[in-house]
Amino acid sequence: MRAPSRLLGAAIGAVLALSLSGCGSSAPEGTGQVKLTLWHNSADPAPLLEMYKKFEKQSGHKIELVSIPSDGFEDTTQTKWATGDRPDILEYHATASGLLALNPAANLRDLTGEAYIARSGDLYQAAGSVNGKVYAAITGFPQVFGLYYNKKVFTAAGLTPPTNFAELAAACPKLKAAGVTPVFESGGSIWPVQILPILYLAGANQSNAYGKAIAGHSSTLADAGSPFVSGLTAYAKLKADGCFNKDIVTAKFEDSMKALVTGKAAMVAQHSDMLPALLAAAGGDQKTVDESVGFVGLSSDKPLVTYAPGPIGTFYLPKTGDAAREKASLDFVRFMTGPAYAEYITASKTFPVLKDVPDPQGVPAVLQDVKKAYDTGAVIAFNSDIPGMGGLAQLMSELIAGQKDPQKAATQLQGQVEQAAKAAGLPGW
Amino acid sequence: MVMRTRAAWLPWALPAIVLVTVFFLAPFLLNVRFAFSSWTSFRAEITWNGLENVRTLIDQDLLANAVTVTVLYAILCMAIQNTVSLSLALALQRTSGINTVFRSAFFLPTLISPLAAGYIWRGLLAPDGAVNSFLGIEWAWLGEPSTALVVVAFIDAWKWSGLITLVYIAGLNSIPKSLLESATVDGAGPWTRFRRVVFPMLAPALTFNVAVTLVGALSAYDVIAATTGGGPGDHTRALNVVMRQQWGQGFFGSASALGFTVTLLVIATAVPLVWWLRRREVTG
Repeated sequence: MRAPSRLLGAAIGAVLALSLSGCGSSAPEGTGQVKLTLWHNSADPAPLLEMYKKFEKQSGHKIELVSIPSDGFEDTTQTKWATGDRPDILEYHATASGLLALNPAANLRDLTGEAYIARSGDLYQAAGSVNGKVYAAITGFPQVFGLYYNKKVFTAAGLTPPTNFAELAAACPKLKAAGVTPVFESGGSIWPVQILPILYLAGANQSNAYGKAIAGHSSTLADAGSPFVSGLTAYAKLKADGCFNKDIVTAKFEDSMKALVTGKAAMVAQHSDMLPALLAAAGGDQKTVDESVGFVGLSSDKPLVTYAPGPIGTFYLPKTGDAAREKASLDFVRFMTGPAYAEYITASKTFPVLKDVPDPQGVPAVLQDVKKAYDTGAVIAFNSDIPGMGGLAQLMSELIAGQKDPQKAATQLQGQVEQAAKAAGLPGW
Repeated sequence: MVMRTRAAWLPWALPAIVLVTVFFLAPFLLNVRFAFSSWTSFRAEITWNGLENVRTLIDQDLLANAVTVTVLYAILCMAIQNTVSLSLALALQRTSGINTVFRSAFFLPTLISPLAAGYIWRGLLAPDGAVNSFLGIEWAWLGEPSTALVVVAFIDAWKWSGLITLVYIAGLNSIPKSLLESATVDGAGPWTRFRRVVFPMLAPALTFNVAVTLVGALSAYDVIAATTGGGPGDHTRALNVVMRQQWGQGFFGSASALGFTVTLLVIATAVPLVWWLRRREVTG
């Protein structure tokens, strides 16, 4: 009896030892190669996925991709994050509001001093950093928000695309008379309906003045006659004037792309990362997109585009306590922002955020329009640095349904900002 | 004698007791404190903050509406599902080839994921969808405040009625035929037989079905998320939908408070309801 027991004990011991060694992600000792977990957005384009493979090939490390659906990306990431689960590399929003929700000081590694930061101009003044510490490695060109318009529709109506809200309001009846939906809004997808009010606020947010005032608590969203209330009021007036599609409540953003490409709608407020969706709506025909769709900046009173650093290609390194994996994940950031970055830009046909990297060849005409508008006048989205703004889209749904007026919606959102700002311990709250 | 009876049922009940304790009771007791805490994603410390989360949810006009929507939705789901299922059960009670085909057809939606069911119906009920094409009208079934909640309740009923129907069929088949024959001999027509014999004898099935449909709908999330996402405005924003939104914004304490509210609602509704229905089984 004793011998089999001993054998059994040894077997259990061996299994336990093997299991425990398998618990860590480190590869066999001595090789220096490890397995890294990367939580990434399911909307990562093919060239970016290719870069992950190139890193594996070059470094010998393995990357285990954990795909977070782009629909509900923030919720799902937060849910996984809240359990205490940490990847070695996290792809997430670069905005201060997104970053604050990760409690960066406690959970993320400080990347200040890395070489790519000096090559990024003043990018990290506006994104990826909190209290002077840089936590992000941003490799993607910011999402540029503005107005996509159908060139053929505007030519047929004898109009030029609007660049401020007065022109937008004036164009509405003329486009309606031509049998076209002036602006297609997608309330069924919820998030797109917050874009127009955010565009409106670009005029008041030059140098991020308005965003800083709200985040610093020197102004509130609900102040009488505040830019935010004015933006919501302008939006409500457009709706009352019949500028939007009838199915605004149920339409999805894919519907908006299709309506724009086919000329059923004249304009859609969206951002530059939606270009693949636009292409898909055109049946994959880039020529159709180039010939029919243009892009302009729009704000309350002047042609400005609004930008926000997006989650695609923005990486953070959570603290894991495993020295080998932490070294390897830092190698990943250095790889993405190092010599390989130029390859990525060439393959992805997007614009670089690092200096000394040339613009790619063969960029689609619409994206060139986006870049032109961005270079002419770009303002960071006013909500980038304000925590608790996640409720804006839901409030817009209530505004559209006529349940809330602009002032009441602003008051409610200010409550959410206060809740988050206090939780984040922001100065001034 | 008492000891022997207890010893007899305990082994059979033990798996259920363990499962309920491990997967429901313990997590509930361990997590209830978070409803009264300052837990957010913005900082590591979690401190006791009393009813602050509830106050915040009230101040932001979220709690009262969510409770109203949830209760209304639960009542609608319970009423629609039980009416439809009882009618179907009466129609399909007899076991025959054709009835088996229909029972299977009505049961099929039960096997579909609620999210998938929601997405299918969202497509069918879109303003340019199949339902409007068939009816020759243009109506945003899920986008109009007046119809959204009722339509979502109907989708939930479509999803679950097959299961509830089976329970009613089992209940109907357990009624002794002699009882119905006696009633017929006594001159009772179909309606009187149903009212005086069938319905009272269905009491155990009714108790189960009413409790299951009501409690299930109180914790509704998936069908609503897939069809309206809580809209139009906040007309279908049930407690669990708001909970998900709060969670997504990093307000875990408030989200826990909403989860706790759902639990309280279930206890406050289900316990008296089941007690009353069970009593009715005995006295009715």
